[in-house]
Amino acid sequence: MTIGIAALQQEFGAHIAALAGALAAGDEDRFLSELDSLVQRREQSLFGELRKLTTDLQSALERFTVDSRLVDLAEKEVPDARHRLDHVLKLTDEAAHKTMDLVEQSFPIAERTAKQADSIVGMWRRFRSRSIEVGEFRVMLEQMDTFLESARTDMDKVRGNLGEVLLAQGYQDISGQIIRGVMKLVGELETALVDLVRLSRTGPKSAKSAIVERTTGFGPAIPGVDNGPAVSGQQDVDALLSGLGM
Amino acid sequence: MSKDMKFLVVDDFSTMRRIIKNLLIDLGYANVTEADDGATALPMLQAGNFDFLITDWNMPGMPGLDLLKAVRADARLAKIPVLMLTAEAKREQIIEAAQAGVNGYVIKPFTAVTLKEKIDKILETRANAA
Repeated sequence: MTIGIAALQQEFGAHIAALAGALAAGDEDRFLSELDSLVQRREQSLFGELRKLTTDLQSALERFTVDSRLVDLAEKEVPDARHRLDHVLKLTDEAAHKTMDLVEQSFPIAERTAKQADSIVGMWRRFRSRSIEVGEFRVMLEQMDTFLESARTDMDKVRGNLGEVLLAQGYQDISGQIIRGVMKLVGELETALVDLVRLSRTGPKSAKSAIVERTTGFGPAIPGVDNGPAVSGQQDVDALLSGLGM
Repeated sequence: MSKDMKFLVVDDFSTMRRIIKNLLIDLGYANVTEADDGATALPMLQAGNFDFLITDWNMPGMPGLDLLKAVRADARLAKIPVLMLTAEAKREQIIEAAQAGVNGYVIKPFTAVTLKEKIDKILETRANAA
């Protein structure tokens, strides 16, 4: 904070003159006492400036902790967000397993129906071309009876399973809503941290952040999020590997 | 009301709209239109002769509660049956929706049976009141 050369001349002018005068006159005591008083004056104004800076910084920090969401975020909302994302993990896990259960149940039923039809079709064709024997015809009738009945109940079961698969996809809506909530929180965190960084930047440049050793991986590829060049499918992986000689 | 009732399904998640549409088709209601927000739904309702509204609550543009209130406030739309289908499960919210004139409230996750029951109940009440 400059106070202008004119003010400095006014404040120090007489003392400088007295100081020079004492030096020229060889007056050691007078010289030293004027020097002390000059130094003292300068120190006081420096302390004044420092005090003002400290007070400014302190009130800025106070305003920050009072206004800032950072405390709330750290104490409550970030741990809360972790639970919410954990819940999303649980939801997606359950939905995936439920769907696979239903698929696993439906597969053998579909297979069975196809096999049963298969075992009848030969006889049926012979029947239609009027080349079937009586004995075989009777067997065919019995098998048709069973087949028609079981095909119906089996298909009802498969239809039911497909309906359950449909409903199981509801996890996407619920986990999507949760994720949106967490995204909003991350946005607030970003704002609060940017404010904090701005506040702390009045001092010398902060040290370069340490390079983080990356062994934990980057997670699934997400379109639009760039973590460096990534492959876009199995064929790319295979091509890359074969290019490396594997 | 017959099986060619015109349904409007409003939810900001396309997966949920698709699930509800499929369930309605399964119940025999083949005339199903979709909207992705209360804000897009309202003009569709005003333009279009819908017989039944199924809506989510939490939507970025116009939430379901506001859509409900807008429907009830519009003389041409006020009589449309409205079923709320949402993850919002707080008591005050359910009460608020009821006070705003909702005809049914289903909480996610839900079953096909629940959806059918609620729709049937709304239509029955309506038929008895007519």
